[in-house]
Amino acid sequence: MAKMNKKWVVLCSTAIAAVYVAGYWTTEIDKTNVLINTDYSSPSVSSSTLEGDSPQVSDSQSQVSTKYNNGTYIGMGSNRRGTIQVTVAIKNDRITDVEISDFAMHYSIDDVIGMPEEVLKIQSANVDNVSGATYSTRAFSDAIQDALNQALRA
Amino acid sequence: MKKAKLFMDTIVQIEAHSGNEMSDDELDSCINKAFDAFRLVERACSRFSPDSELMQACRRIGEATAISPYLFEPLKFALEMAEWTDGSFDPAIGQLLESKGFNRHYLTGERMNSNVDGSATYRDIELSEANRTLCLHKPLILDLGATAKGFATDLAARELSGCAGFVVNAGGDLYAGGTNEQGDKWTIGIREPNIANGILESLSISDAAVCTSGSYERRSEGDEGEHHIVRPATGKSPNEWVSCTVIAPYAMMADAFSTAAFAIGGEEGIALIADAGLQGLILTSNSRIKRIGGI
Repeated sequence: MAKMNKKWVVLCSTAIAAVYVAGYWTTEIDKTNVLINTDYSSPSVSSSTLEGDSPQVSDSQSQVSTKYNNGTYIGMGSNRRGTIQVTVAIKNDRITDVEISDFAMHYSIDDVIGMPEEVLKIQSANVDNVSGATYSTRAFSDAIQDALNQALRA
Repeated sequence: MKKAKLFMDTIVQIEAHSGNEMSDDELDSCINKAFDAFRLVERACSRFSPDSELMQACRRIGEATAISPYLFEPLKFALEMAEWTDGSFDPAIGQLLESKGFNRHYLTGERMNSNVDGSATYRDIELSEANRTLCLHKPLILDLGATAKGFATDLAARELSGCAGFVVNAGGDLYAGGTNEQGDKWTIGIREPNIANGILESLSISDAAVCTSGSYERRSEGDEGEHHIVRPATGKSPNEWVSCTVIAPYAMMADAFSTAAFAIGGEEGIALIADAGLQGLILTSNSRIKRIGGI
Protein backbone atom coordinates (compact mmCIF):
# COMPACT_ATOMS: atom_id res chain seq x y z
CA MET A 1 0.00 0.00 0.00
CA ALA A 2 1.17 3.49 -0.78
CA LYS A 3 2.40 5.73 1.96
CA MET A 4 -0.58 8.10 1.77
CA ASN A 5 -2.94 5.29 2.62
CA LYS A 6 -1.71 5.30 6.19
CA LYS A 7 -2.73 8.88 6.87
CA TRP A 8 -6.34 8.21 5.78
CA VAL A 9 -6.52 4.96 7.70
CA VAL A 10 -5.36 6.72 10.85
CA LEU A 11 -7.94 9.46 10.31
CA CYS A 12 -10.70 6.84 10.09
CA SER A 13 -9.62 4.81 13.08
CA THR A 14 -9.17 7.87 15.30
CA ALA A 15 -12.57 9.15 14.14
CA ILE A 16 -14.25 5.98 15.39
CA ALA A 17 -12.28 6.04 18.62
CA ALA A 18 -13.24 9.67 19.27
CA VAL A 19 -16.90 8.70 19.62
CA TYR A 20 -16.15 6.11 22.26
CA VAL A 21 -13.48 8.04 24.14
CA ALA A 22 -15.87 10.92 24.70
CA GLY A 23 -18.55 8.57 26.01
CA TYR A 24 -21.03 9.93 23.50
CA TRP A 25 -22.32 6.56 22.54
CA THR A 26 -23.97 5.77 25.85
CA THR A 27 -25.07 9.25 26.85
CA GLU A 28 -26.77 10.49 23.72
CA ILE A 29 -28.47 7.40 22.44
CA ASP A 30 -32.12 8.11 23.17
CA LYS A 31 -32.53 11.60 21.78
CA THR A 32 -34.86 11.73 18.85
CA ASN A 33 -34.01 13.07 15.47
CA VAL A 34 -36.64 14.13 13.01
CA LEU A 35 -39.13 16.85 13.72
CA ILE A 36 -42.36 16.22 11.91
CA ASN A 37 -43.17 19.28 9.87
CA THR A 38 -46.47 20.69 10.99
CA ASP A 39 -47.53 21.75 7.54
CA TYR A 40 -46.37 18.64 5.80
CA SER A 41 -47.55 18.30 2.27
CA SER A 42 -46.24 15.87 -0.24
CA PRO A 43 -47.57 15.98 -3.80
CA SER A 44 -47.73 12.21 -3.98
CA VAL A 45 -49.85 11.84 -0.88
CA SER A 46 -53.50 12.59 -0.33
CA SER A 47 -53.24 14.66 2.78
CA SER A 48 -56.85 15.55 3.49
CA THR A 49 -56.61 14.31 7.05
CA LEU A 50 -53.51 16.40 7.64
CA GLU A 51 -55.06 19.56 6.33
CA GLY A 52 -58.18 19.06 8.43
CA ASP A 53 -58.70 20.91 11.65
CA SER A 54 -57.36 18.28 14.00
CA PRO A 55 -57.68 19.52 17.56
CA GLN A 56 -54.43 20.38 19.25
CA VAL A 57 -54.10 18.55 22.51
CA SER A 58 -51.88 19.87 25.22
CA ASP A 59 -49.10 17.63 26.39
CA SER A 60 -48.97 17.94 30.14
CA GLN A 61 -45.26 17.22 30.33
CA SER A 62 -43.85 19.53 27.75
CA GLN A 63 -46.60 22.16 27.82
CA VAL A 64 -46.76 22.29 24.05
CA SER A 65 -49.60 21.20 21.85
CA THR A 66 -48.84 18.04 19.95
CA LYS A 67 -50.18 16.85 16.67
CA TYR A 68 -49.48 13.15 16.93
CA ASN A 69 -50.00 10.50 19.55
CA ASN A 70 -46.85 8.82 20.74
CA GLY A 71 -46.56 5.22 19.67
CA THR A 72 -45.71 2.83 16.90
CA TYR A 73 -47.78 2.76 13.74
CA ILE A 74 -47.77 0.49 10.73
CA GLY A 75 -48.11 2.23 7.39
CA MET A 76 -48.76 0.71 4.00
CA GLY A 77 -47.84 2.03 0.60
CA SER A 78 -47.52 0.47 -2.79
CA ASN A 79 -45.53 0.77 -5.95
CA ARG A 80 -45.50 -1.26 -9.12
CA ARG A 81 -43.60 -4.05 -7.45
CA GLY A 82 -46.06 -4.55 -4.66
CA THR A 83 -46.89 -3.37 -1.21
CA ILE A 84 -44.55 -1.67 1.20
CA GLN A 85 -45.00 -1.84 4.93
CA VAL A 86 -43.17 0.34 7.40
CA THR A 87 -43.30 0.58 11.17
CA VAL A 88 -42.98 4.19 12.25
CA ALA A 89 -42.20 5.14 15.85
CA ILE A 90 -43.35 8.59 16.98
CA LYS A 91 -42.41 10.39 20.16
CA ASN A 92 -43.23 14.01 20.96
CA ASP A 93 -44.13 14.77 17.34
CA ARG A 94 -40.87 13.35 16.11
CA ILE A 95 -40.27 10.34 13.92
CA THR A 96 -37.76 8.36 15.91
CA ASP A 97 -37.53 5.20 13.81
CA VAL A 98 -38.71 3.79 10.51
CA GLU A 99 -38.30 0.06 10.15
CA ILE A 100 -39.12 -1.67 6.90
CA SER A 101 -41.28 -4.41 8.31
CA ASP A 102 -42.73 -5.88 5.18
CA PHE A 103 -40.01 -8.29 4.22
CA ALA A 104 -40.84 -10.74 6.95
CA MET A 105 -44.19 -11.31 5.25
CA HIS A 106 -45.10 -11.60 1.61
CA TYR A 107 -42.31 -9.73 -0.04
CA SER A 108 -38.60 -10.01 0.33
CA ILE A 109 -36.80 -6.91 1.53
CA ASP A 110 -35.16 -6.71 -1.84
CA ASP A 111 -38.51 -6.24 -3.54
CA VAL A 112 -39.12 -2.92 -1.89
CA ILE A 113 -35.85 -1.10 -2.08
CA GLY A 114 -36.32 0.33 -5.52
CA MET A 115 -33.69 -1.67 -7.31
CA PRO A 116 -34.29 -3.09 -10.77
CA GLU A 117 -35.71 -6.56 -10.51
CA GLU A 118 -32.99 -8.07 -12.64
CA VAL A 119 -30.42 -7.04 -10.07
CA LEU A 120 -32.48 -8.62 -7.34
CA LYS A 121 -32.39 -11.96 -9.11
CA ILE A 122 -28.64 -11.77 -9.39
CA GLN A 123 -28.31 -10.71 -5.82
CA SER A 124 -30.20 -13.71 -4.57
CA ALA A 125 -28.46 -16.09 -6.94
CA ASN A 126 -24.80 -15.19 -7.05
CA VAL A 127 -23.88 -12.45 -4.63
CA ASP A 128 -24.62 -11.62 -1.02
CA ASN A 129 -25.02 -7.91 -1.52
CA VAL A 130 -24.87 -5.23 -4.17
CA SER A 131 -23.07 -1.90 -4.08
CA GLY A 132 -24.58 0.79 -6.25
CA ALA A 133 -25.40 4.46 -6.21
CA THR A 134 -27.49 5.52 -3.25
CA TYR A 135 -31.13 4.59 -3.74
CA SER A 136 -33.76 7.14 -2.96
CA THR A 137 -36.48 6.37 -0.47
CA ARG A 138 -39.21 8.17 -2.37
CA ALA A 139 -41.19 4.95 -2.69
CA PHE A 140 -41.67 4.95 1.07
CA SER A 141 -43.36 8.34 1.36
CA ASP A 142 -46.86 6.94 1.03
CA ALA A 143 -46.30 4.28 3.65
CA ILE A 144 -44.85 6.77 6.12
CA GLN A 145 -47.70 9.19 5.49
CA ASP A 146 -50.20 6.40 6.09
CA ALA A 147 -48.62 5.71 9.46
CA LEU A 148 -48.60 9.42 10.35
CA ASN A 149 -52.29 9.69 9.51
CA GLN A 150 -53.03 6.94 11.99
CA ALA A 151 -50.99 8.73 14.63
CA LEU A 152 -52.86 12.03 14.23
CA ARG A 153 -54.69 13.09 17.32
CA ALA A 154 -58.37 12.73 16.50
CA MET B 1 -30.65 -12.19 11.00
CA LYS B 2 -31.59 -9.41 8.61
CA LYS B 3 -33.17 -6.02 9.31
CA ALA B 4 -33.75 -2.86 7.32
CA LYS B 5 -34.49 0.71 8.42
CA LEU B 6 -34.62 4.10 6.78
CA PHE B 7 -31.85 6.54 7.58
CA MET B 8 -30.22 9.36 5.60
CA ASP B 9 -32.68 8.99 2.73
CA THR B 10 -31.63 5.46 2.03
CA ILE B 11 -32.41 1.92 3.10
CA VAL B 12 -29.90 0.67 5.60
CA GLN B 13 -29.82 -3.10 5.56
CA ILE B 14 -27.93 -5.05 8.18
CA GLU B 15 -27.34 -8.75 8.02
CA ALA B 16 -25.41 -10.52 10.75
CA HIS B 17 -24.83 -14.00 12.07
CA SER B 18 -23.15 -14.97 15.29
CA GLY B 19 -21.63 -18.32 14.38
CA ASN B 20 -23.38 -19.78 17.47
CA GLU B 21 -21.39 -17.52 19.78
CA MET B 22 -24.37 -15.33 20.70
CA SER B 23 -28.03 -15.80 21.46
CA ASP B 24 -30.58 -14.36 19.06
CA ASP B 25 -31.33 -11.64 21.61
CA GLU B 26 -27.68 -10.63 21.84
CA LEU B 27 -27.38 -10.58 18.07
CA ASP B 28 -30.55 -8.49 17.80
CA SER B 29 -29.15 -6.05 20.35
CA CYS B 30 -25.89 -5.69 18.36
CA ILE B 31 -27.87 -4.97 15.19
CA ASN B 32 -29.96 -2.36 17.00
CA LYS B 33 -26.82 -0.64 18.27
CA ALA B 34 -25.47 -0.65 14.74
CA PHE B 35 -28.64 1.12 13.56
CA ASP B 36 -28.15 3.63 16.39
CA ALA B 37 -24.90 4.68 14.69
CA PHE B 38 -26.92 5.88 11.70
CA ARG B 39 -29.46 7.57 13.98
CA LEU B 40 -26.75 9.50 15.85
CA VAL B 41 -24.71 10.51 12.81
CA GLU B 42 -27.83 11.54 10.90
CA ARG B 43 -29.04 13.66 13.79
CA ALA B 44 -25.68 15.43 13.93
CA CYS B 45 -24.94 15.77 10.21
CA SER B 46 -28.25 16.19 8.40
CA ARG B 47 -28.45 19.16 6.06
CA PHE B 48 -32.21 18.60 5.83
CA SER B 49 -33.23 19.20 9.47
CA PRO B 50 -33.14 22.76 10.86
CA ASP B 51 -32.42 21.37 14.32
CA SER B 52 -29.49 19.12 13.40
CA GLU B 53 -26.16 19.96 14.96
CA LEU B 54 -24.84 20.78 11.49
CA MET B 55 -27.60 23.26 10.64
CA GLN B 56 -27.39 24.87 14.07
CA ALA B 57 -23.66 25.33 13.54
CA CYS B 58 -24.34 26.87 10.11
CA ARG B 59 -26.34 29.64 11.78
CA ARG B 60 -23.37 30.75 13.89
CA ILE B 61 -20.87 32.71 11.85
CA GLY B 62 -17.52 33.87 13.21
CA GLU B 63 -17.73 32.17 16.56
CA ALA B 64 -16.12 28.90 17.62
CA THR B 65 -18.68 26.33 18.71
CA ALA B 66 -18.01 23.01 20.41
CA ILE B 67 -19.40 20.13 18.34
CA SER B 68 -19.84 16.42 19.00
CA PRO B 69 -17.57 13.82 17.39
CA TYR B 70 -20.54 12.73 15.23
CA LEU B 71 -20.17 16.00 13.36
CA PHE B 72 -16.51 16.82 14.05
CA GLU B 73 -15.02 13.60 12.68
CA PRO B 74 -16.78 13.34 9.29
CA LEU B 75 -16.25 17.08 8.82
CA LYS B 76 -12.56 16.76 9.63
CA PHE B 77 -12.18 13.95 7.11
CA ALA B 78 -14.04 15.95 4.46
CA LEU B 79 -11.75 18.94 5.07
CA GLU B 80 -8.66 16.76 4.73
CA MET B 81 -10.00 15.55 1.39
CA ALA B 82 -10.78 19.12 0.34
CA GLU B 83 -7.18 20.15 1.07
CA TRP B 84 -5.84 17.07 -0.67
CA THR B 85 -7.86 17.72 -3.83
CA ASP B 86 -7.39 21.48 -3.69
CA GLY B 87 -11.12 22.03 -3.45
CA SER B 88 -12.33 19.65 -6.17
CA PHE B 89 -14.06 18.02 -3.24
CA ASP B 90 -15.64 20.60 -0.94
CA PRO B 91 -17.93 20.18 2.09
CA ALA B 92 -19.05 23.81 1.72
CA ILE B 93 -21.30 23.05 -1.27
CA GLY B 94 -24.56 22.58 0.63
CA GLN B 95 -26.14 25.72 -0.79
CA LEU B 96 -25.28 24.66 -4.34
CA LEU B 97 -26.93 21.28 -3.78
CA GLU B 98 -29.99 22.97 -2.23
CA SER B 99 -30.31 25.16 -5.31
CA LYS B 100 -30.31 22.07 -7.52
CA GLY B 101 -33.30 20.67 -5.66
CA PHE B 102 -31.40 18.39 -3.27
CA ASN B 103 -33.07 20.01 -0.29
CA ARG B 104 -36.05 17.79 0.55
CA HIS B 105 -36.25 15.90 3.83
CA TYR B 106 -37.12 12.30 2.96
CA LEU B 107 -39.41 11.77 5.96
CA THR B 108 -41.25 15.08 6.22
CA GLY B 109 -41.11 16.40 2.66
CA GLU B 110 -39.96 19.71 4.07
CA ARG B 111 -37.56 21.67 1.88
CA MET B 112 -34.61 23.69 3.09
CA ASN B 113 -33.91 27.00 1.38
CA SER B 114 -30.93 28.71 2.92
CA ASN B 115 -30.17 32.31 2.31
CA VAL B 116 -26.40 32.34 1.85
CA ASP B 117 -24.53 33.77 -1.11
CA GLY B 118 -22.65 30.62 -2.04
CA SER B 119 -19.19 32.17 -2.44
CA ALA B 120 -17.75 30.35 0.59
CA THR B 121 -15.40 27.38 0.26
CA TYR B 122 -13.82 24.85 2.59
CA ARG B 123 -11.18 27.48 3.40
CA ASP B 124 -13.85 29.35 5.36
CA ILE B 125 -14.32 26.38 7.66
CA GLU B 126 -12.00 26.14 10.66
CA LEU B 127 -11.80 23.19 13.00
CA SER B 128 -9.85 23.29 16.24
CA GLU B 129 -8.55 19.88 17.15
CA ALA B 130 -7.55 20.99 20.65
CA ASN B 131 -10.94 22.44 21.59
CA ARG B 132 -13.09 20.28 19.28
CA THR B 133 -14.75 23.39 17.95
CA LEU B 134 -15.99 24.56 14.57
CA CYS B 135 -15.82 28.14 13.36
CA LEU B 136 -17.35 29.30 10.07
CA HIS B 137 -15.80 32.47 8.72
CA LYS B 138 -18.53 33.06 6.13
CA PRO B 139 -22.18 32.03 5.90
CA LEU B 140 -22.29 28.63 4.21
CA ILE B 141 -24.19 25.35 4.28
CA LEU B 142 -22.10 22.31 5.11
CA ASP B 143 -22.69 19.14 3.16
CA LEU B 144 -21.30 15.88 4.52
CA GLY B 145 -22.97 13.69 1.90
CA ALA B 146 -19.67 11.99 1.11
CA THR B 147 -18.40 11.20 4.60
CA ALA B 148 -21.26 11.01 7.13
CA LYS B 149 -22.84 7.84 5.77
CA GLY B 150 -19.44 6.18 5.54
CA PHE B 151 -18.67 7.20 9.12
CA ALA B 152 -22.00 5.80 10.33
CA THR B 153 -21.27 2.57 8.43
CA ASP B 154 -17.87 2.30 10.15
CA LEU B 155 -19.41 2.88 13.59
CA ALA B 156 -22.09 0.27 12.82
CA ALA B 157 -19.37 -2.17 11.76
CA ARG B 158 -17.63 -1.64 15.07
CA GLU B 159 -20.84 -2.45 16.93
CA LEU B 160 -21.11 -5.69 14.95
CA SER B 161 -17.47 -6.67 15.29
CA GLY B 162 -18.31 -9.41 17.77
CA CYS B 163 -20.35 -11.26 15.16
CA ALA B 164 -18.81 -14.00 13.04
CA GLY B 165 -20.03 -12.26 9.93
CA PHE B 166 -22.03 -9.21 8.96
CA VAL B 167 -22.80 -6.84 6.12
CA VAL B 168 -23.92 -3.25 6.62
CA ASN B 169 -25.36 -2.00 3.34
CA ALA B 170 -26.42 1.64 3.29
CA GLY B 171 -27.19 2.11 -0.38
CA GLY B 172 -23.89 3.16 -1.87
CA ASP B 173 -21.88 2.40 1.25
CA LEU B 174 -21.19 -1.12 2.32
CA TYR B 175 -18.98 -2.83 4.86
CA ALA B 176 -18.58 -6.60 4.98
CA GLY B 177 -17.04 -8.10 8.12
CA GLY B 178 -15.94 -11.67 8.73
CA THR B 179 -17.47 -14.37 6.59
CA ASN B 180 -20.92 -15.49 5.48
CA GLU B 181 -22.71 -18.43 7.10
CA GLN B 182 -20.88 -20.87 4.84
CA GLY B 183 -17.57 -19.55 6.16
CA ASP B 184 -16.66 -17.91 2.85
CA LYS B 185 -15.81 -14.31 2.15
CA TRP B 186 -18.83 -12.22 1.25
CA THR B 187 -19.55 -11.86 -2.46
CA ILE B 188 -20.39 -8.28 -3.25
CA GLY B 189 -21.73 -7.29 -6.64
CA ILE B 190 -21.11 -3.89 -8.16
CA ARG B 191 -24.12 -2.69 -10.02
CA GLU B 192 -24.04 -2.05 -13.78
CA PRO B 193 -26.94 0.35 -14.26
CA ASN B 194 -27.04 0.20 -18.06
CA ILE B 195 -27.54 -3.50 -18.57
CA ALA B 196 -30.28 -5.88 -17.58
CA ASN B 197 -28.98 -8.43 -15.07
CA GLY B 198 -26.33 -5.86 -14.51
CA ILE B 199 -23.40 -6.74 -12.33
CA LEU B 200 -20.14 -5.12 -13.38
CA GLU B 201 -18.02 -7.23 -11.18
CA SER B 202 -18.33 -9.63 -8.31
CA LEU B 203 -15.93 -9.08 -5.43
CA SER B 204 -14.87 -11.37 -2.60
CA ILE B 205 -14.65 -9.24 0.50
CA SER B 206 -13.86 -9.67 4.17
CA ASP B 207 -13.29 -6.84 6.65
CA ALA B 208 -13.40 -4.19 3.98
CA ALA B 209 -15.65 -1.44 2.68
CA VAL B 210 -17.00 -1.00 -0.83
CA CYS B 211 -18.51 2.28 -1.88
CA THR B 212 -20.00 3.21 -5.22
CA SER B 213 -20.65 6.80 -6.22
CA GLY B 214 -22.89 7.02 -9.23
CA SER B 215 -24.81 9.52 -11.24
CA TYR B 216 -27.79 7.29 -12.02
CA GLU B 217 -29.93 7.19 -8.88
CA ARG B 218 -30.13 10.77 -7.68
CA ARG B 219 -30.93 13.07 -10.52
CA SER B 220 -31.74 16.73 -10.21
CA GLU B 221 -35.46 17.38 -10.66
CA GLY B 222 -34.91 20.66 -12.45
CA ASP B 223 -31.70 20.45 -14.41
CA GLU B 224 -31.09 17.99 -17.22
CA GLY B 225 -27.82 16.08 -16.79
CA GLU B 226 -27.39 17.21 -13.21
CA HIS B 227 -27.12 14.86 -10.25
CA HIS B 228 -26.00 14.98 -6.65
CA ILE B 229 -22.25 14.98 -7.27
CA VAL B 230 -21.11 18.46 -8.22
CA ARG B 231 -17.77 19.91 -9.27
CA PRO B 232 -17.38 22.99 -7.08
CA ALA B 233 -15.33 24.95 -9.62
CA THR B 234 -18.04 24.81 -12.30
CA GLY B 235 -21.15 24.21 -10.21
CA LYS B 236 -22.00 21.43 -12.67
CA SER B 237 -22.26 17.67 -12.41
CA PRO B 238 -19.51 15.70 -14.15
CA ASN B 239 -20.89 13.10 -16.55
CA GLU B 240 -17.85 11.38 -18.02
CA TRP B 241 -18.24 8.54 -15.55
CA VAL B 242 -21.40 6.62 -14.65
CA SER B 243 -20.07 5.10 -11.46
CA CYS B 244 -16.92 4.92 -9.42
CA THR B 245 -16.39 2.14 -6.88
CA VAL B 246 -13.63 2.19 -4.27
CA ILE B 247 -12.59 -0.62 -1.94
CA ALA B 248 -10.94 0.55 1.27
CA PRO B 249 -10.37 -0.55 4.87
CA TYR B 250 -12.98 1.96 6.08
CA ALA B 251 -16.31 3.02 4.61
CA MET B 252 -15.64 6.71 5.25
CA MET B 253 -12.46 6.39 3.22
CA ALA B 254 -14.15 4.47 0.40
CA ASP B 255 -17.01 6.98 0.34
CA ALA B 256 -14.86 10.12 0.27
CA PHE B 257 -12.42 8.74 -2.31
CA SER B 258 -15.15 7.48 -4.66
CA THR B 259 -17.01 10.80 -4.48
CA ALA B 260 -13.87 12.94 -4.84
CA ALA B 261 -12.58 10.84 -7.74
CA PHE B 262 -15.98 11.08 -9.44
CA ALA B 263 -15.99 14.86 -9.05
CA ILE B 264 -12.46 15.17 -10.47
CA GLY B 265 -12.81 12.55 -13.20
CA GLY B 266 -10.31 11.60 -15.90
CA GLU B 267 -6.75 10.47 -15.28
CA GLU B 268 -6.52 12.76 -12.27
CA GLY B 269 -9.52 11.11 -10.65
CA ILE B 270 -8.01 7.69 -11.26
CA ALA B 271 -4.69 8.85 -9.84
CA LEU B 272 -6.40 10.00 -6.64
CA ILE B 273 -7.47 6.41 -5.95
CA ALA B 274 -4.24 4.82 -7.16
CA ASP B 275 -1.99 7.17 -5.14
CA ALA B 276 -3.75 6.18 -1.94
CA GLY B 277 -3.02 2.53 -2.72
CA LEU B 278 -6.72 1.71 -3.02
CA GLN B 279 -8.58 -0.52 -5.45
CA GLY B 280 -11.23 0.92 -7.70
CA LEU B 281 -13.51 0.18 -10.61
CA ILE B 282 -14.86 2.89 -12.87
CA LEU B 283 -17.61 2.69 -15.45
CA THR B 284 -17.31 5.49 -18.00
CA SER B 285 -20.23 6.99 -19.89
CA ASN B 286 -18.99 5.31 -23.08
CA SER B 287 -19.24 1.97 -21.27
CA ARG B 288 -15.56 1.36 -20.67
CA ILE B 289 -14.37 -0.18 -17.45
CA LYS B 290 -11.24 1.17 -15.82
CA ARG B 291 -9.54 -0.91 -13.15
CA ILE B 292 -7.32 0.47 -10.43
CA GLY B 293 -4.99 -1.31 -8.02
CA GLY B 294 -5.15 -4.79 -9.53
CA ILE B 295 -8.84 -5.40 -9.02
